[in-house]
Amino acid sequence: MLQTLKTLVRFRSLLGSLTARELAARYRGSALGFLWSLVNPLMLFGVYAVVFGVILEARGGSSTDPYPLFLITGLFPWIWTSASLLEGAVSLSANAGLIRKAVFPCEVLPTVVVCANLVHFLLALPILLIALGWGRFEGADVLGPATLLLPLVVVLHFVLLVGAAMGLAALNVHFKDVRDLLGNVLTLLFFLAPILYALADVPNEKLQTLVRFNPFTPFALGYQSLLFRGEPIGWELWVEMSGLALAALFLGTLIFRRLEDTLVESV
Amino acid sequence: MSRSANTGDRGRAGSEVPDRDIERGPAIAVRGLSKSYRRMAAGFKMRTLKSAFLERSLTSGLSDAETIRALEGVSFDVPPGEAFGVVGGNGSGKSTLLKVIAGLLRPDQGEVVTDGRVAALIELGAGFHPEISGRQNISINGTVLGLSKKDIEERYDSIVEFSGLADYIDEPVKTYSSGMYVRLGFAVAIHTDPDILLVDEVLAVGDEEFAHRCLKRIEQHLAGGGSLLVVSHSLTLIEDLCDRCLWLERGRMREIGEPRRVIDAYRQAVAEAEGRAHREDLERATTASGVPGEGAADENDRWGNGWASITSARLLINGKEQYHLESGDEAVFEIETQAHRPLEDVVFGIAISTPRGIECWGTNTDIEGLDIGRFEGSGRLQLCCPALRLGAGEYSVDLAVHARDGTPYDYRRDLLQMTVGQRERGVGVYLPEHDWKLSGGLKQATGSKGSRCEDGVASSGATEYAEDSPGTDRSPKTPGRDRS
Repeated sequence: MLQTLKTLVRFRSLLGSLTARELAARYRGSALGFLWSLVNPLMLFGVYAVVFGVILEARGGSSTDPYPLFLITGLFPWIWTSASLLEGAVSLSANAGLIRKAVFPCEVLPTVVVCANLVHFLLALPILLIALGWGRFEGADVLGPATLLLPLVVVLHFVLLVGAAMGLAALNVHFKDVRDLLGNVLTLLFFLAPILYALADVPNEKLQTLVRFNPFTPFALGYQSLLFRGEPIGWELWVEMSGLALAALFLGTLIFRRLEDTLVESV
Repeated sequence: MSRSANTGDRGRAGSEVPDRDIERGPAIAVRGLSKSYRRMAAGFKMRTLKSAFLERSLTSGLSDAETIRALEGVSFDVPPGEAFGVVGGNGSGKSTLLKVIAGLLRPDQGEVVTDGRVAALIELGAGFHPEISGRQNISINGTVLGLSKKDIEERYDSIVEFSGLADYIDEPVKTYSSGMYVRLGFAVAIHTDPDILLVDEVLAVGDEEFAHRCLKRIEQHLAGGGSLLVVSHSLTLIEDLCDRCLWLERGRMREIGEPRRVIDAYRQAVAEAEGRAHREDLERATTASGVPGEGAADENDRWGNGWASITSARLLINGKEQYHLESGDEAVFEIETQAHRPLEDVVFGIAISTPRGIECWGTNTDIEGLDIGRFEGSGRLQLCCPALRLGAGEYSVDLAVHARDGTPYDYRRDLLQMTVGQRERGVGVYLPEHDWKLSGGLKQATGSKGSRCEDGVASSGATEYAEDSPGTDRSPKTPGRDRS
């Protein structure tokens, strides 16, 4: 794990240029360019807000504050998560040409994907904050001094994603099934996470336990606590998030290190 | 100076070898290298993943039937400043060797120690992103190859100039032609200032002008004390460029040493293999039908009334049966023939042509005034050419026995196939002996080695020309690298 981190730090400028390339290449030739990174999550947000908020009359738990504000605090971090994992899983196979021909630390590739999507998340963050700020101005009880702890959650979330993307990417080189499997698992995790609904609103106790075991749940709760309710996060949740992040990083880098030597031949 | 080792020893791959106060050893040291690939057959997936995970290898625990040996027990040293060539057929392990030395692949056994910065020109432009501009790709590719931002800024202009793509540098590289792609890739790679340059067949892609520029740059690299390991099917390139040469055959070292000797041995083996295949073809054809017009032989390749037949033919080069020659070699066409009735009127003929049907030479016994008279039973005929000065290429030989008025007894088209190599420059199907003579205002520049006409004696010949590298634009050589 430490070796991987050392490599990433040593090749940070490569990480930077590849992330820039990723971002530059993605919107090259499109009229809206970078705006797409805002339009896409907003579209999804709009659809969910109408379907669940208006038609199904979902509520953000015991809070009486507007449902769309609850939804958006969980949804944006989720978009970062799912995009990072889906793209991260194929990051090695997609760059097979590079891996096979240039001597080059492969671990940067999944990390680049997570970084690029972090940039999108950070660009969308102002929208989220403006929406919440406007809600507060209208009298909703959102945001608060605890919101300042947000960067800490983002860092832990980032570590989680880097670890997971690395492990998935290495596995996907050997097993192309990973990508398809992952698509389904992510759908499942999305609906089993307290993003569209609050954890307290899950009626069945068994189901609630299931949701509680979703690795994204602590992070959804963390974001909601800091942003939607403006309350500090309890120490149990901090421990949970840190534990998950470190476990993902440990496991992901372990898998990656183990498979690293055989990547070039298999990719 | 960074020394690094790529060993078959699991768990310490790519480890930096501490740079002790030792004398500078070889730039590349290859010791007992073996590498297998797994066969990509279905059914090994789960086991492969398990072994990849536990043993860090795809092949450990697989039986010999499940693997392919790409390299076996390869050992050699490349001292600093040496140009080392690797030749061999397709699938002989050349590229695998290069990739193991580059550190891309992990050997199963043995180790490679490299001393200095390695640049591997394997597939140039690998990792260029098609959507972004050449300029941005230069900086990213440079970073991938290990240059810092500052390095890239300093070298940027020189890279663009070398690539010759200044007009297109801000266009996305997806609009580039494949040649432009390679130009940019080579330009970036060569500007990483490597101590050891690994080149895999890349010079074949660019145009002539660029290939010359690359060669010149490689010569500069060698002159500056850098080492080179080059893999190529262009034997002349290796012969011209390299100080030593390795011939790999099915992953094993077949010959190593002076390029001329190794390459000749390699050519000889190729020619023998072709000759074997050719003899087998001939045997199949002759056993199928001893007499024209009968049996399975294709009517397009053989016709005649069958009064006499050409039963077999061979080509003897310098006294040995083979079907590859160097231009200027002694060649003997040997024909076994049989008369199926007594004949008073017999002419033997030969025609040599290119695969596209251009007739290079033809003659027969009649037009050259050789009267055969009566022919009964069987006989052997030899046509001897003391120096067959055909240009490089493939040729096929028609042989015929017929009457003076042209009535064919047995006409055999493409009965012999041969390949010709040439050591001197010059193009075409015919390479006559020649020399240049200057007089009046024309004088030979001092130091030029173009002509060797002394006292009016023309002494040009294929073998002599081959002694020195052609006097074109092969510039600087360090004294130590000069072949005399």
